[in-house]
Amino acid sequence: MAMKALKDLTDDLELARDVLDKQVVDRDEIKMGRVDGLVLELRDGKPPRIDSIEMGGVVLAERIHPRLARWVDGWRRRLKVRKTAVYRVPWSAVQEITPYHIKVDVAALETPAFDWERWLRDHVIAHIPAAAKGGAQE
Amino acid sequence: MNMKKAATLALGILTSVGGFFDVGNIATSTQAGAVYRLQLLWPLVFGTVLMIFLVEMSGRFAAATRQALPDAIRTHLGFTAWLFPFIILSLVHFLVLGAEIGGICFALHLITGLPVPFWALPVSVLLWLFLWRSTFGAIENSSSLLGLITLAFVVAAWKHHPPVGQILAGVVPTLPHHDPTRYWFMAVSLIGAAITPYVFYFYSSGAVEDEWDESYVGVNRAVSVIGMGFGSVIALAAIVVSAVVLAPRGIQVDDYHQAALVLTEAFPFWGFVLFAAAMGIACLGAAVEVSLSMAYTTAQTFGWNWGENLDPREDARFSLTYTGAILASALLILFGVDPLKLTLLTMAVNAAVLPFIAIPFLLLMNDRKLLGEHANGWLSNTVTVVTLALALVLAVVSIPLMIVGGS
Repeated sequence: MAMKALKDLTDDLELARDVLDKQVVDRDEIKMGRVDGLVLELRDGKPPRIDSIEMGGVVLAERIHPRLARWVDGWRRRLKVRKTAVYRVPWSAVQEITPYHIKVDVAALETPAFDWERWLRDHVIAHIPAAAKGGAQE
Repeated sequence: MNMKKAATLALGILTSVGGFFDVGNIATSTQAGAVYRLQLLWPLVFGTVLMIFLVEMSGRFAAATRQALPDAIRTHLGFTAWLFPFIILSLVHFLVLGAEIGGICFALHLITGLPVPFWALPVSVLLWLFLWRSTFGAIENSSSLLGLITLAFVVAAWKHHPPVGQILAGVVPTLPHHDPTRYWFMAVSLIGAAITPYVFYFYSSGAVEDEWDESYVGVNRAVSVIGMGFGSVIALAAIVVSAVVLAPRGIQVDDYHQAALVLTEAFPFWGFVLFAAAMGIACLGAAVEVSLSMAYTTAQTFGWNWGENLDPREDARFSLTYTGAILASALLILFGVDPLKLTLLTMAVNAAVLPFIAIPFLLLMNDRKLLGEHANGWLSNTVTVVTLALALVLAVVSIPLMIVGGS
């Protein structure tokens, strides 16, 4: 597992403080979501270990109330934009943990985390004229 | 100080013109001056002190951690703790944006005579187009330059030779001679207009957009004092002008038409147009800020890609968030909500919800693991906690009284 230890993170990784809710970026540092949930793998006779990080509105809603999660998931099915309720990135894909973000070795655009971003870009932004910042980009 | 740091003063001025002096100050200052003359200068001074501290803290946070507030709060306090403040903050954004759009529409109504709701759609399209096409730097610079027109209030106040003794007396809180309920409600609205809660959230995102690092801690202190001081002097001048021009004639500000008279004595020919221009520009600057602030907060809460320098194709959700916010708030004005009433209500709500929005922020500011030597000292903590508590007590007591007594 390639992971850099960072100055502000001690040898112990405090899951709730240092991992849960942190910004997730892809290998090109594009912001792709947050650590909405963590999955632990329970092993016989051995201590549990982190299996993956989870992203998705349903995961977030589950943290508030299971009924809210069902409701959010109902809308997800009806709208048919986001294909899977929960997107899991295996812990082995984590490349780096800094005070600002967790970098994972995926391409954001191809993941379910970007389903909405992609859909809005292709179906809404594409139909709005003048979507370029008129040469103001340096 | 290098050029880039000197230029960051622009962020301070933008924040003060947009975030400090806006529709809320025009409404509350002119009304306070017209009814209580110079007696209600103190809530504004009180609010300004708190605002300087909050903005300084927010800039220091962004400079020391290179993170904007909503981003850091979700990371460190967690989604469930942040959800409630986030919902309140979104409501504040919605109301304030409606009030600012109402202000721009009213300024256009003053000049053209066309009804206020007529302007709701053209104004929101223009506002949206500006955000859609501009970079953060362009927005900063144009708003700071145009915002200088609001100095007309200061010039007018100066021309009237206001009684200095009474102005100084007004800085000290005193009990009202008449109408105590209205007095305290107005004091709360003035405080709410000085401390619009979205401002310090916006400011930290702006600092991240401008790529501040630890070396900006000193500049940030100057920016917050000068920037907020600049906005506050304009708002104080508006009270003075209103006290000198409107109060002796018994004109009370029941709608913005009466407020528009405040500059006509100092500038007989241009006063009306100048008022309209100052109001339109101050509200436009604020509307730009609030829309962006809504998008920053939402994008950071959910971890979406964000940045006003990115092309909308690269941050579709961010761009469509401000688009939706503008549309939703414009509907308030389109359906004929009175802009002045909306503003006064919004400012009182601002003061009341401030603790909910400021407390998570204060918690973070004291996190030494995160901020190290830049964490809050006793002075910042004492001043903010005491003033927040006072603002809350004032709001909790006066708002119900006003609702009961006002009906």
